[in-house]
This record gives sequence, structure tokens and C-alpha cells, in this order.
Amino acid sequence: MTLLEARGISVAYGGLVALGGVDFAIEERQVIALLGPNGSGKTTLFDVLSGLRRPAAGDVWLRGERVTGLPPWQLARRGVGRTFQIPEPFGALSVRDNVLVGVTFQARRPRTRAERLREVERLLTIVGLTDRAGDAAATLSLGERKRLELALALSGRPALLLLDELASGLSPKGREEVVRFYARLRAHGLTIIAVEHSFAVLAEVADRVLVLDRGTLVADGPPAAVLDSPPLRTAYMGEEE
Amino acid sequence: MARLTVESLEAGYDGVQVLRGVALEARGGEFVAVVGPNGAGKSTLLKAVAGLLRPRAGAIRLDGERIDGRSPWEIVARGLTLIPEGRRLFGPLSVRENLELGAFVPRGGAVREETLRVVYRLFPVLDGKQRVLAQHLSGGEQQMLALARGLMTRPRLLCLDDPFLGLGRAVVDAFCDALRAVRDEGLTIVATGQHVRRLLRLATRAYLLDEGRVILSGTGAELLASEQLRRTLLP
Amino acid sequence: MKLAAVLLVLAVLPLLGPPAYYLYLFSTAYLFATLATAWNLLAYGGQVSFGQAAFFGLGAYGAALASLHGASPWLTITLGAALAGAGGAAVGLAAGRLNGAALALATLATAELLRGVALNWTALTGGGSGLVGIPSVPSLPAIPLELGGGRVGAYHLSLATLAAALTLSAAVLRSRAGLALAALREGETRGTLLGLRPLPWKVLAFALSGGATGLAGAVYAHTLGAVEPDVVFGRFFSIAPLVMATLGGRSLLGPAAAAVVLYLVSELVFHPLAPALHQLPYAFALIAVTLVLPAWRRTP
Repeated sequence: MTLLEARGISVAYGGLVALGGVDFAIEERQVIALLGPNGSGKTTLFDVLSGLRRPAAGDVWLRGERVTGLPPWQLARRGVGRTFQIPEPFGALSVRDNVLVGVTFQARRPRTRAERLREVERLLTIVGLTDRAGDAAATLSLGERKRLELALALSGRPALLLLDELASGLSPKGREEVVRFYARLRAHGLTIIAVEHSFAVLAEVADRVLVLDRGTLVADGPPAAVLDSPPLRTAYMGEEE
Repeated sequence: MARLTVESLEAGYDGVQVLRGVALEARGGEFVAVVGPNGAGKSTLLKAVAGLLRPRAGAIRLDGERIDGRSPWEIVARGLTLIPEGRRLFGPLSVRENLELGAFVPRGGAVREETLRVVYRLFPVLDGKQRVLAQHLSGGEQQMLALARGLMTRPRLLCLDDPFLGLGRAVVDAFCDALRAVRDEGLTIVATGQHVRRLLRLATRAYLLDEGRVILSGTGAELLASEQLRRTLLP
Repeated sequence: MKLAAVLLVLAVLPLLGPPAYYLYLFSTAYLFATLATAWNLLAYGGQVSFGQAAFFGLGAYGAALASLHGASPWLTITLGAALAGAGGAAVGLAAGRLNGAALALATLATAELLRGVALNWTALTGGGSGLVGIPSVPSLPAIPLELGGGRVGAYHLSLATLAAALTLSAAVLRSRAGLALAALREGETRGTLLGLRPLPWKVLAFALSGGATGLAGAVYAHTLGAVEPDVVFGRFFSIAPLVMATLGGRSLLGPAAAAVVLYLVSELVFHPLAPALHQLPYAFALIAVTLVLPAWRRTP
């Protein structure tokens, strides 16, 4: 069953075309690797899908419902969870309260505060942050912030996860953990679009690879067909002239 | 003597070391391409060279004179101009005003009119749009204007950070022609960016950067032919 | 509980028989503490108001007008607070689209606009000379303490107002609203991506802050017996809470404590030394706070 469909998504900043008519559809439980060099439009696409940016043209459907232009909070409540490449949690709030925000405002359940706090503990256990639960988020290391970012993205029990470079900036050990995270998320049946700088991080989980180049989708298919293909080379090395 | 020499350069941002001992040089009249994957340190290198980032260790010399640790305006006054990624034009000002602001340094001011003529000859499209506001130009024209503004300082060394970012193919073609023309006039250029194949074809000398180190150097053609380049750049 | 103990101690202070002047000073200090606490309800959600005088004046004029039309003081105070709360909600609706400096300017403009209305709508407001003859609040038979009349009565009324504002603030900070406001302050965008809809919480914060400020304005009208546009809609009632609450930090009691200290230092230390310069502490506090602001207000 189709979870997400994007048709003709276009976004421009000033004179620059960030996205020039992007079309794709995603089935439930698919894990998609979204590749493309800096400035190819990956984050802009995430901004559109999470409601932070209204596309100049095009439409987004989530489970058959047209959600183009809905504000982020409505998309979050409809099951879109997102992380940022550079995590900016609620710095002065404790790690626990950070996740509590996500648990409280996205979902109709759990209803009581005790239930919500249990849900927070569950999420903190998943990402391995229980020992920092009482500390202000501003005091977290980069690796811990990335874990918190993931807990936030998961806090609304999302149907679709948009993950932006979970592994970037991490040590090799941290990167291995991210690889294991992806495997767990996949095992839970989540639908995921993941941006990673290195495809190796996603090699075990990706069903499908999308490649953006200057705002256009230039390749879409199983990893074996897309990796090292001419469009991918052009995206990362420029055209042949 | 090389125009630009970088020796054992280490630099980064708070807590994160990006450059881990980079050495490279650009001789007079050369086009030097610095390529590498995201996060390799290309922009950081150019920022350090232009004085926007203070290196932690190493040396940067322009025509033999140490410029590391100097402020950006001192470095511009010595003839090194950086055209940053994203252009940073003065959007509400006209093409001509942007260019005149580019000449706002001792070396550029005296010969401003002459420089303007040279720049308009190189970029005829700007000549026809002198009064148009920068923010109303197309992406390609804005990039041309950024390059032209950089030339207004009459630099000895021009550094370009990802000059083709976000530009369409035809615009990149035109831009490459402009760069080739500038290069052929004898200006020394150091450029980074993602359009690796284009940059390497323009380059007389090239460096492949990965995780803050130079892992391969040679002529542009040599790098283009190397398997290591492909392995490093593709995801 | 700590709060209740502090309030109880303050409530019995008049039994020591202090000079009337001190009672007056403390009454006024509690009034400003109420305003600072109300200001903090906005700041807690990352909203900066430069126009709290709008709500203070609405409360004062609301109560004064209702009173002069025959309503009983307890009703008039409720009406004044409600009017200010409604005004707050209206500003909050606009605040949904404004942030930072734009919001600060909008609040400032609101206060100035209302001052202009009060000055010029003479038939209703009495114009520049304001309204006089507002009766004081009668004592309640159920409470042994004297409330409205006399210095002691004014003291207790003012303290009760502060207690109400602190109770409201404590309830907000501890609830979902507090979590929502803290999240909006720390990162509105991140919050919206977690299902947090900013507008209702911003409106709520403005309504509550306006209501608490209006409560103080209504009590002020009854205590003084007169309201004047240039006073109750004046800039001092906008700026003083801002300075005091900023100095006090973001906690429940910090703004109120800072307000009391700052006001008393200004009146007891600076006023005798240099009457013309007795507002200097506010200037110093503002400068100090501006210099250390980011670090200071970050502490929860």
C-alpha cells in the first residue's frame, strides 16, 4: 500500500531552483536511501515532506490524503517524524522533557502524565539515553544529541521517518551503532527515507535508492542498479561536458 | 616561487578538527582544483586561506609572505580574493553597485574604471544589466556577478568555493568559458566544488581531499583517470 | 508549600506595627512583583512584551468604569482582569504571526494606542484627568485581616494579588502549558515538528499574562481611588516588569523577588540619596541584564 506520494514538487529560493518537479511514491515498510551531493535538494525535500516549506508547485499525499501545505504540527500528528542533520534540541529542557514534548503534543494517547512518562522512558531506553534523562539537552555531546534527535522523531509513533544524516560527524563506533539502529527501525516495520553521506551505512537496510541532482530526481531503483550508475556519477562528479 | 603555498595546515571549528595537515601549492597562472566529498574540508581550506578562519597550525604564504593569522581585509588588500559558496551578493543593490563595492580596496580603487571595462568585456551579460538589482538576476547571472565582483579587487589569486552550485548545465558551460578566459589572462585560481569533472578539466593542478588530508594530487587529467577519485567521491 | 509559607509570613508582617510608609512601599512592591510574574508568563514562552501597561490600564479602567457604574468592588476587579485577559488574547492572536522585535514593537504600540484612546475618549474615560472617586475594597467578613481600607488593608490586598499571580504562574509552569511554552521558547520549529501548535499556547500565555496584569491594575484603581491615562497606560508599567523579571530569571519566584528587591532598593536607598535619579537601579539592572542575558535567562 502506498504511504507517501509526491508529485511535481518544486521549490525555488531566489534565483535558485532547489527542487524542480520531483515525483515519487513510497510503499509502506520501504526503506529508501536518498542520495545526492550538497545542494541537490535533499533537505529541501525533507522540509516539504515535514511541512516546513510549502512547495511552489506540486502535491504530497499521505495515505491517500492530500497534505500539501499543511503546517508541520499537523503532519507530525499524521505520523511524519523527522531528524535534522545538525540536531537542535530544546537546550534548556532536560532530555526527558524534550521527549515529553514529542509524546505530549503529537498523539492523542497516552493520556495520563504517568503513561506519557513511561512512554518517554521507553524511547530513552531505545536510544540509550536513560542515564542522561535528567540533564539539560544543551549539555549533550554530538552523538547523544543525535540519539535524542532520533527519540524525538520516534516520539509520535511515526508512520514515516525522515532521517537526515544520523551517522555524520560520528566516530566509527558511533556509525556502527547507527547501522544497527537502522536495522532495528526496519525490523519494526517503519517506512524510512534516510539521507546518509555514505551509502555503506544504509547498505544493509535500503530497498531502494533515490538520487537527487540539482533538484531533480535522476535515479530511482534498487541499490545494485543505481550505485555507480551514470546519473549517480554525474550527480557527484558533474557532467562529462 | 609559488603564488600560494599551504604547509601542514590544521584548522577546524570549536571541538571539531577538519583539516589535518594539508599541503598544496598554486603557481602563477595555474588553475588549481581541490576536490573531495562532503565534509572533506574544501570550504574550510578556502576559509583559512582567505583569513575567515584562524588555522591551528601550519603556514599559508602568498608570494612567499605569511598571510595566516592576518585578517580577511589585509589578505584581500594583498591580492587574494575569495568568492564564497552561495555568492553573498548585495541583493537590493544594482549590478554596477555590487561591482563598485567589490573595488572597495586600495588595489581595486585606483583603476576601477579600467577594471570595470575588463569585467564587462568578460561578462557581456552584466554590461547589459548594469542597473538591474542583483536579486532580480537569474542564478547564473548572480554567479557571474559574484565572480566579476571578485575580479574588481584585481586579485593575484582568486579562490572560488563551489562556483557551480545550483546552476543549470548551460549556465555551467558559460561559466566555465568565463573561468577559462580569466585563467588564460594569467590570473591564478584555486577552485573547489562538486562539479569535479568540470573543475578537473580546467585544472592544471589538482588535489583530492578526504577527511582533512590530501590523498591524491596530480594534473587534472591524472586525477580524472584515477580509480581512487571515483571511490572517494561516490557515496 | 514554600511559597505558601513565604506568603503567610508576609501576611502577618503588619502585626509588627511598621510605619505606614513601609506598608505603602511593600504594597507597591507586591504590585510590581505581580506585574513581573505576569510578564514572566510570556517570557517563559519566549515572548517579549514591551507593552504590559496596555493590560494594566485595561484592568484599571475596566474596574474603575464598572465601579463608577455601581458594580461592587469584587465584581469590578474580576471584570477588569477579564477585560485585560481578553485584550491579552487579542494581542496573542497577532503574536501568532510576530516574533522577537516585531512582537515587542506591537506590544509597545498597543499600550500607546490604548493610552491615546483613554486620553481622547473623554465621554467614557474622563480624558487626560482620568476618573476619580473609585471606592476602596471593603473588608470581607470571613477574613479577620483588614483588606481594602487603610494602609494595612492595601497591603493585604496587594499581597493577595501577588499570591493569585504566583499561584496562576505555578499552575501554568507545572502543566502541559508550561511544557508547551518552554518548548516554543527553546525551539519553535522543532516544536511544531513534534505536533506542537504554537498559536493556542501563545494566545493562552498572553491572555493569562494580560489577566494577571489587569488584576493588578484593577486593585491599583481601587487602592488609589483614581486612574489616569498617562499613569496606568504609561511606559513605566511596561518597562518596570520587563527589567524586574529579566533580572529575576525564568523561575517561578525569581521575577517577583527581583521586583521587590529592585523596587525597595530604588525607593529606600536611591530615593533618599538622589530623588531625581531614583530610577537609576532600573537602568543599571537593564544594562546588567542585557550584558549577561543569554547565559542568565538560559538557566531554567
